[in-house]
Amino acid sequence: MNVQKNGVQIDDTFAEAFNMRGTRVLITAQNLKWAYNAANAMTGFATSVIGCGVEAGIECELTEDETPDGRPGVSILMFAMGSKVLMQQLEVRMGQCILTCPTAAAFSGLASEDQISLGKNLRYFGDGNQISKLLPDADGNNQRYWRIPVMDGEFITQETTGMVRAIGGGNFLVLGESQSQVLAACEAAIIAMKKLPNVIMPFPGGVVRSGSKVGSKYPKMFASTNDAFCPTLKGGVKTELDMGIESVMEIVIDGLTFDDIALSMKVGIEAACSLGADSGIKRISAGNYGGKLGPYLFKLHEILGA
Amino acid sequence: MTALTFTLKKELSHSLDCSRLTAAVLADKSIAEIKAMTLEAHHTVADWFTVSGSDASHIVFKDTNQHLSYIGKQMQNGTITIEGDCGDFLGQSMKGGTIICKGNAGDRAGDKMRRGILLIEGNAGDYCASSLMAGTLGVLGATGSHLGYSMKRGTLLLAKSPTEQITWVDCGIHTLPFLKLLFKSFANFDTQFAKLTSTRAQRWMGDISGIGKAEILLLNQD
Repeated sequence: MNVQKNGVQIDDTFAEAFNMRGTRVLITAQNLKWAYNAANAMTGFATSVIGCGVEAGIECELTEDETPDGRPGVSILMFAMGSKVLMQQLEVRMGQCILTCPTAAAFSGLASEDQISLGKNLRYFGDGNQISKLLPDADGNNQRYWRIPVMDGEFITQETTGMVRAIGGGNFLVLGESQSQVLAACEAAIIAMKKLPNVIMPFPGGVVRSGSKVGSKYPKMFASTNDAFCPTLKGGVKTELDMGIESVMEIVIDGLTFDDIALSMKVGIEAACSLGADSGIKRISAGNYGGKLGPYLFKLHEILGA
Repeated sequence: MTALTFTLKKELSHSLDCSRLTAAVLADKSIAEIKAMTLEAHHTVADWFTVSGSDASHIVFKDTNQHLSYIGKQMQNGTITIEGDCGDFLGQSMKGGTIICKGNAGDRAGDKMRRGILLIEGNAGDYCASSLMAGTLGVLGATGSHLGYSMKRGTLLLAKSPTEQITWVDCGIHTLPFLKLLFKSFANFDTQFAKLTSTRAQRWMGDISGIGKAEILLLNQD
C-alpha cells in the first residue's frame, strides 16, 4: 500500500522496541535556570544504554503549583534495561548532579508499587546531621523526605521514587535530499513531540545521526553503522536508499507505555511531513531487527491511521 | 462519615485520662461500645462525654478544658482535633497521625513523641516536647519553661520567641525551602498552621545535654 503524508512517502515498515524500566524525578530549584542546570547534568551522557547505562531526558517544565515544594522545576524521565542498573545510575546521578547543584531538590515523580532509592542512601552524606521528615501529601499518604545540610543551606530530597515497566527504542527515520533539510524536519518533529507527556527523545537535541545495526565485521563490536541507510555507501552495499536520498536521521523515543510512544511517533512524523516533499523530505521509515529483538512493533501505517 | 466526636458534658475538676480515645482503639467499635468503655475507675466514656459520629480516623473533642489529659497518647494514625484547651501530656509517645489543638495545651505536650504532627494553636505549658524523639511539634502561642528538655531529634516549630534555653545552641537565621513542604502538609488540615508562609526561621540545635540532634525553628524572621 502506498501511503503518503504531504507528498512524503511512509514506508510499510515498523519500529521495534523492547522492555525497559523507567522512573520519573521532579527537580526543583530557586528558579528554572538552576532547575535546568541540575536536570541537564542529571540527564547528560544518557543517550543510549549501550554506553551510558541509562537513557534520560527532560520531559517538561513544572510550575510552582506542580511541584511538592512550591518552587519551579522540571520533570525528567530515566530508562534502563533493568531495575538494578536504573537504581545504580539514579543514585550516582543524584549524588553527582542534584546534590551538588545549588538550591536544587529532588522529588518522586511516579507513584508505583515498586520504589527505588532517591535520597535514601544519599542521606548519609549528612554525616549524622541529616534530618528525616515524614509528611502527609495532598492525598494524606505519608512521604519521607530527607534534609541534608550542605554549604548553601539544605539539600531536600524524597526518600524514594517509583519505578515502572516501560518501553524503549520507539523510532522513526527521516530521509531527505540534504542534511540541512532532514535536520529541519527532525527539529520540527522534536518541537511537536516535546509537548507530549511520558516520553523522552534521549539523543542530542532529540536526534541521532548514527543509527546502528546489530553486529560488525569486527568480532569485538556488537553494533556498527547502519550501512543500509548510509547515503555515501549507496551502490557499494545493500542499500535501502535511492539515489535521491542524501541524508537520513533518526528520532528515538523512550516512553512509559506503548500508547505514549505511538502517539509521539504519530505527532513527530506528522510534524516532519508538514514541511512537505517540496522541502526535500522524501520518506519516513523506521528501524527494526526483523521483529526478532523486541516485543513491541510500532507499525508506521497503523500509527498514522492509514 | 462524620468525625467521631466527644463532647464534654460537665465540668471536670480533676485530670481525666483520655489515652484510650484514639483511632486504633476506637476503630470498628459501635457508639454503644465506645460509650461503655472505661475511662477511669468507676466511670465510663458516657459519664463524661456525649458521643456522636462514626469516623474513628478523625476524632474531635468539643467543650474541652485543661483537665483532659493524655489525649492522643501512643496514637499511630488518623487525626485528633481538640476544639479548645486540653491538659497535660498531649500526644505523649505518639507514633503517627496528626493532633490539632485549637486552644492551649498543658505541660509536657509531645512528651516522648516518636512520629507524627502535633499542632497547638494556643499556648503550651512547661516541658513542651520533653524527651521528644522525632516528628513535628508546632506552637503558635507562648511556650513555658524547660522547652525541649531532653529532646533528641525532631522539629519544634514556634511562632513566638521562647525563653532562653541553656542547652540549646543558636545556629542563626536561615531561609529553609523545606518549610514550604511542611506548610503544604498542614494544608490538609483545618488549622491556623495552614496559613504559615514564611520560610525564614531562626534555628537552634539541642538538647545538647543529650544527643542534640533536634531543632527549634522560630518562624517569621523575615
